[in-house]
Amino acid sequence: MNTSQRHWLLAGATAVLLAACATVPPGPPPEVVRLQNDLDRLHRDPRVADNAGSELSNADAAVDALARSAGTLDAEAYEQGVYIADKLVDIAEATALARFAEQRGMQLGAERERLLAEATRTATVVTSGPERTVRTETVRTEGGQLVPRARAELMAMQDQLPGVESRLDARGLVIRLGDFMFEPGRAELTPNAEQSLDDVARVLRNDADAGITIEGHGDGMTAQRAVAVRDYLDARGVDAARISSRNVASRDALADNDRRVDIVIRSEFR
Amino acid sequence: MNRLRLLLLLIAALAMPGVAATVDRDTAQLELTQAITSVQAADRDDAATYAPGELDEARVMLDSAQAAADRRDWTSTAVYAERAKMAGDLAASRSRQHRAEAATAEIERNVETLRRQLTSYGGAP
Repeated sequence: MNTSQRHWLLAGATAVLLAACATVPPGPPPEVVRLQNDLDRLHRDPRVADNAGSELSNADAAVDALARSAGTLDAEAYEQGVYIADKLVDIAEATALARFAEQRGMQLGAERERLLAEATRTATVVTSGPERTVRTETVRTEGGQLVPRARAELMAMQDQLPGVESRLDARGLVIRLGDFMFEPGRAELTPNAEQSLDDVARVLRNDADAGITIEGHGDGMTAQRAVAVRDYLDARGVDAARISSRNVASRDALADNDRRVDIVIRSEFR
Repeated sequence: MNRLRLLLLLIAALAMPGVAATVDRDTAQLELTQAITSVQAADRDDAATYAPGELDEARVMLDSAQAAADRRDWTSTAVYAERAKMAGDLAASRSRQHRAEAATAEIERNVETLRRQLTSYGGAP
């Protein structure tokens, strides 16, 4: 092959390569690729895939429609299509994860019921045991620790509230009702909260001397919620005259999404 | 399927040159009404607490839609209203998700507390 032939061959190969490049269809736009990757991730996530309803099908169809139309859309229409498809993908994910959490909550609720039954039976045996010495000035706890009588009484009370979020601090026995224990945006207790308050009312009815303060932490809504808690306890036989209430307005609490109602059973009540 | 239908209609309408200008006042007002309903629903679902970022975005889009309606720019009204509606729907969905997760975490803590108490009593959780 002489030099002239090699030049013609090179030129021909270059022309073929350029023609091939020109006929390769351009890939989907990066936004569409991102959306397709997001959908793939959702389909692979068993929490989403197992709980996906029509929302995931809608997202699939929207991304597919966008991928098919992307080449014919002007910039504004394409941007709008991407925005909407993006939101449909996010809605599919959020809805499926909500269903997953709700189902898990139901399973855990059943487990809690089982443990509650077991704990109530066990606590009854413990509190009626002959070693219980909570009426002395200083008493020994189950763990062998010496504590003031009032403190021990609160600890005994806490033992009777299995499954209720509570803790002992300087204020006394604090039972916390988080924001999610109320219906969204309303001063109405959820069935979960009512169940906890039924237990609290039972314990308070058995100890008529206990002093009770209900604290609303957050904005005006928590003040209404504190009243709802007081009314609920009153309706369950805890005299409202025993209950004082106050609102603790806190910008920090609001910023931290920490709107809550605390029921404080005071340690200096006797 | 309603959202998908809207998406396809929107893509089809905006893809045809000159057709975007035919978005009339009634169509734009309908989109705006649906957007307002969606954002109000997200508010009721406590999205301000559980999905504040998504709710803010929906409100910004709704403000833009209302500003466009004030200018009688019906195409922009429809575009922003559709975005506000989708963002509002997402805010409600995220709020539901985060509320469910918070409630589940609370029950999980209860269960752990119960297990610890039972173990300390010598029970078999």
